[in-house]
Amino acid sequence: MKHRSPLLGPALALALLLAGIALAFSLGRYPVPPGDLLRILVARLTNTPSGLPAASEAVVLQIRGPRVLAAILIGSALASAGTAFQGLFRNPLVSPDILGASSGAALGAVIGIFFSLPILGIELLSFAGGLLAVGLVYVIGSGLRGGDTVLTMVLTGVVVGALLGAGIGLIKYLADPYNQLPAMTFWLLGSLAGIAPADILTLLVPILGGTAVLLLLRWRMNVMSLPEEEARALGVATGPLRAAIVAAATLVTSASVAASGVVGWVGLVVPHLARFLVGPSFPRLLPTAAILGGAYLLLIDTVARTAASVEIPLGILTAVIGTPFFIALLARMRGGWS
Amino acid sequence: MFPDRRIVLGGLASALAAVGGEAAETAVEDAARRSVARPATIKRVFPAGPPAAILLYTLAPDLLLGWPRANRAEEREFLLPDVGGRPEIGRITGRSNSANLEAVLAAKPDLIIDVGSTGPTYVSLAERVQSQTGIPYALLDGTLARTAETYRTLGRLLGRERDAEEKATYAEALLAHIAQRVATVPADRRPRVYYARGPRGLETGRGGSINVESLDMLGAVNVAGGTGGGLATVSLEQVLAWDPEVIVTIDRDFAAFVRQDPAWASVRAVRDGRVHLSPKLPFGWVDFPPSVNRLIGLIWLGKLLYPALFPEDLVAETRAFYRLFYHVTPSDEGIARVLAGRG
Amino acid sequence: MILQARQLAFGYPGREVGRDVDLALTPGRALALLGPNGGGKTTLLKTLLGLLPPLGGEVLLDGRPLGSTPVRDRARLIGYVPQVHLGTFAFSVADVVLMGRTAHHGPFTQPSARDREVAAGAIDRFGLTGLAERPYTMISGGERQLVLIARALAQEPRLVVLDEPTASLDFGNQGRVLGEIRSLTRAGLAVLFTTHDPNHALRVADEVATLRAGRLLAHGPAAEVVTRAHLENLYDAPVREVGSAPNLAFVPDHS
Repeated sequence: MKHRSPLLGPALALALLLAGIALAFSLGRYPVPPGDLLRILVARLTNTPSGLPAASEAVVLQIRGPRVLAAILIGSALASAGTAFQGLFRNPLVSPDILGASSGAALGAVIGIFFSLPILGIELLSFAGGLLAVGLVYVIGSGLRGGDTVLTMVLTGVVVGALLGAGIGLIKYLADPYNQLPAMTFWLLGSLAGIAPADILTLLVPILGGTAVLLLLRWRMNVMSLPEEEARALGVATGPLRAAIVAAATLVTSASVAASGVVGWVGLVVPHLARFLVGPSFPRLLPTAAILGGAYLLLIDTVARTAASVEIPLGILTAVIGTPFFIALLARMRGGWS
Repeated sequence: MFPDRRIVLGGLASALAAVGGEAAETAVEDAARRSVARPATIKRVFPAGPPAAILLYTLAPDLLLGWPRANRAEEREFLLPDVGGRPEIGRITGRSNSANLEAVLAAKPDLIIDVGSTGPTYVSLAERVQSQTGIPYALLDGTLARTAETYRTLGRLLGRERDAEEKATYAEALLAHIAQRVATVPADRRPRVYYARGPRGLETGRGGSINVESLDMLGAVNVAGGTGGGLATVSLEQVLAWDPEVIVTIDRDFAAFVRQDPAWASVRAVRDGRVHLSPKLPFGWVDFPPSVNRLIGLIWLGKLLYPALFPEDLVAETRAFYRLFYHVTPSDEGIARVLAGRG
Repeated sequence: MILQARQLAFGYPGREVGRDVDLALTPGRALALLGPNGGGKTTLLKTLLGLLPPLGGEVLLDGRPLGSTPVRDRARLIGYVPQVHLGTFAFSVADVVLMGRTAHHGPFTQPSARDREVAAGAIDRFGLTGLAERPYTMISGGERQLVLIARALAQEPRLVVLDEPTASLDFGNQGRVLGEIRSLTRAGLAVLFTTHDPNHALRVADEVATLRAGRLLAHGPAAEVVTRAHLENLYDAPVREVGSAPNLAFVPDHS
């Protein structure tokens, strides 16, 4: 596939994101006219009263604004982690939850709901669950000697993920069917309906931190996508670098899943979309995927919150949009993952 | 298919009884119009799920084998000491069975009762369990409106018609009273209510769901009732667009934070201080489990929605209800704890 | 002397593949490692590259034990050309060659202008400039091998190690790649390559070591090692000589 001007792809992604932000801010179940929207935002920036009803202000600043930000942050986090993992595991069908981050985070959240913890407790338990699951996979995977390290790790991830899935099933089975079970089901389907301004702060640190590490390592990721021995012969200490990439990707994935529930597909589909735009080289691919991921989840979440009076779970929308998209992609890509 | 031997025998026996004149009926028609053989002696009854356990406890606590889930200490305080502490026995509800059928048999019940939906899924489940265990399995209607009928059917099954009539009369009178009072409120004066569940308060019951039956009985307008269905998640923005006058919740965490949360501050119900946390001891007052525990909640909610129409003294009503249905007489302090939404 | 193996035993943990190997690589000279498939060539190569730890004896890089040299320092001295493969992702030829510069910048930095200059020089040297923006997956096998050699040169190493550089190439490309290997030694680099074709060893290498069942059978100047008697012993099969020096060649004999 030919790649056009090096700036065209990222520019396109950025334009999509900006259009998405404008669209997402102006749409919602609570009508706020564009003029009022601008007045509220300007008033906020200049710290002056907008003179508009408190409800309109709350919608823009407390509800829609944080939700737009969260969608961008989480989308770009999942897309960056997915891009990094596809390179690291040399497999374009890998998504950020391949090492069990999502299953671990889901188990943590379900346990939190089971014990009726407050929201922050559920989120922290979920975050810790994601980190612990991947830590466990990493320790087991590196402990198993011989063979292909990367393959061993992926297989360990699959096995541990299945075990965590059983754990989720057990907790759901034990849960109170009238109160906890629906909460768990909703959580597992993923939604940004509950995002509050405070969540942005708790999301910001791990996501910006992890994404920054991934972006700094973007050149090295090219080399990491080569067979392990080749990467080492090119002067890369593959062990520590792999640990760093896995840690950073897990940090952002766990933080995302803790805040939004399980949102699949973004980390799988967006890297392909970005590769289609700018080619496979990570220095350009990773930033593009991050921007595109933000735009993608933002658009999907806008549909999720505006299409009906009740929320459409994100996990369902991403799958419905992702599946045909991915099949079309597979049909085009007979000549390799350009 | 073989005819059910019990029904055949039961029919024969009732024919004989009719000849003999005065013996009790031996087959009872349940809410799904199934003929359920009535055992000669009933000492132990297995509740298929939480609504059945509560219904059974209110009518015949001595027959209740155990609870689908063990009661917590603060719940047992409002139950008969020896019955509230009976063991956990799981539940029989389709695929999410947590009661092993062998364990059900080992508990030696004379009868299994299930309260809730009487749809084909539950009818076939009842038939299967009944044919596998040989124990009669009765299905009763769990909706609030049918409470009196459900009590009378259970009374006939258990041979406790007189006690059942007492409860049925209470339910009938209460529901009739409420319907009468609510009918006087014109449509445009009905309060617009948002029912909040979940720690963020963003789960709600849509139109016709059993979770919001109490709201429907009271003629309140469920803001999420525009679309039919069960539970769903909504966005806070949608709640703001609905701008409900009253919020009823069963989640204590949500009730606590909603009053300080700036995003919720402009919802009319929050502004007007009309966010109400449902009592839930020993069982929830508005939603779960969906059983007769919701009757007292109707008075509580009626007073909140139409203060002028419901002059009843809530403490006295609560004590009377707990005495009649839960067989305990709570102290003033106990009732205060219930009303504060503890548990 | 750049790389030296002394009394080297090599293999995988718990499974020794070979032992008693003594080798030395010097600037401007090419050493061919010749032997039948399964004789341990690749395992020995990996051990000499530091990808496998020695099971006994030692490997010295520039006089220092290879194992205690950081991977980054190793990569500045040894360029490795693996067997041609199709990568997972369709990187451009320019990107692949630029990866040769990895050891010359830090983990968090991007390639510098000088890195790009060196890579462009390596591409140019092999006449690949016209292909620079083409995906590496969409060029011919011979071109791909040249790209990998260019990448090794971009490392600016003092030793280039090639694993079966001609194994998967057609006849014409074999000659082209052999010529490029020869030119590496003329540029003053030490070269080590494995091959199972004695004619390639004879054409290109200054020295040849023959490896069978993990042991060096012979080791010395190419003309002395690549002889009919040695080859018959090495491959355990009859061999026929064709022509005479300097155009001597060997073919399998079947009668």
